Amino acid sequence: MATPVSVLRLPKGPDPNSRGFDPKSPRFIALCRTSISSSAASEADPEQLQREQHARSVLRENFLRCLLSMSNKKVQFHMHEKVKVEATFGASDIDVLNFQVSDLHTPIGVQKEALIRCQDVISVTFDV
Amino acid sequence: MAMRQTPLTCSGHTRPVVDLAFSGITPYGYFLISACKDGKPMLRQGDTGDWIGTFLGHKGAVWGATLNTDATKAATAAADFTAKVWDAVSGDEVLSLAHKHIVKTVSFTQDSNCLLTGGNDKLLRIYDLSNPEAAPQEIAGHTSAIKKALWCNNDKQILSAADDKTIRLWNRSSMEEVKTLTFDTSVSSMEYVADGEIVVITYGKTIAFYNALSLELIKTVEAPAPINSASLHPDKDFFVAGGEDFKLYKFDYSTKEELESYKGHFGPVHCVRFSPDGELYASGSEDGTLRLWQTAVGKTYGLWKCVLPEDLGAENSEQLYTPTPEIKA
Repeated sequence: MATPVSVLRLPKGPDPNSRGFDPKSPRFIALCRTSISSSAASEADPEQLQREQHARSVLRENFLRCLLSMSNKKVQFHMHEKVKVEATFGASDIDVLNFQVSDLHTPIGVQKEALIRCQDVISVTFDV
Repeated sequence: MAMRQTPLTCSGHTRPVVDLAFSGITPYGYFLISACKDGKPMLRQGDTGDWIGTFLGHKGAVWGATLNTDATKAATAAADFTAKVWDAVSGDEVLSLAHKHIVKTVSFTQDSNCLLTGGNDKLLRIYDLSNPEAAPQEIAGHTSAIKKALWCNNDKQILSAADDKTIRLWNRSSMEEVKTLTFDTSVSSMEYVADGEIVVITYGKTIAFYNALSLELIKTVEAPAPINSASLHPDKDFFVAGGEDFKLYKFDYSTKEELESYKGHFGPVHCVRFSPDGELYASGSEDGTLRLWQTAVGKTYGLWKCVLPEDLGAENSEQLYTPTPEIKA
């Protein structure tokens, strides 16, 4: 009877908590363009790169603090197709793909719990 | 010592896998994208099947998926009436191209600058990705839904297969039909092999090979069961096919002889493709899985390890995972 070929392990399956594309992988580090493109390392001087990186950190931190301070507050979402809805902000998922909200006021009624797809959102407004 | 094939099962999809495509060979290896009716196409490392990421954004079944040669971009075609272009390194959606009906097929030109799409609105569309706001060029002619469209002849021509039982060859510059092949039955799949200009077409139980430039028939081979997809090995010595009886078949291309058949899937096989180095082939099935199969069974490659008889039982041999032999019904 033929022996089955041995395998070292089974292929790794998806991570239930994330959509993947590990930013620590060599390919990501080498190839990934960030959303605001940075100056090429070869062109800019190290000082300018450092200032740029500092600016990125500040912007990112501000964004995260905004998300934190919106928690449990009434916010207004301005979305595509001239949609304006109000809801109580809950949380964002890790990739900022969905916002969890409560008491979403829509033209067809109030939704107790809902997920708002971030790519549909143009802006979010709230009182600090 | 005869070795039995151990397919590697890639799980993760929750609905049938309907299309898959490999990238070219990149400095980071090669990659595999799978289109699934669960709406979540996945990117995997090609030689191991390890999941890399899931492209999130489609709101309906994804019918077609492709990668550009260096696996930096992905494109998908879905039932939500859009084709999307993705950054295949970060997983971010880059473009969403609205269509008037279900999109079934997407294909990049070699330079990744243009995307060809086709679907249920019976039109072929060419998008200039450096100018996505511009209206795409449209090619009309098919009389029913297009299921597959591919660039060929150095991106100067287009091959399209539709439910109208025809395969048509078009000139990109003139946007005119050059040649048509008509069949008695619906074509289930089409694969283009650039090196050698061969088109692999499947219909019924037949796997047919045509010259891609002239659309002249080279040869046909009959399989034991209706075939949904076939793929020719890069060296053109073998081809593999899979279909309604859930099995994968391996044939000798020159002699047309059936060499092997493999059980493994629990549902019809919808798509099968050889890797760019020819060392393995991947199959996608109604059972929601992808399986990787070795071309040379027993060879050490990827996750497969060749174990010589004297190594089995050696004190310092690594812990190897040997799957329990499947019980034959």
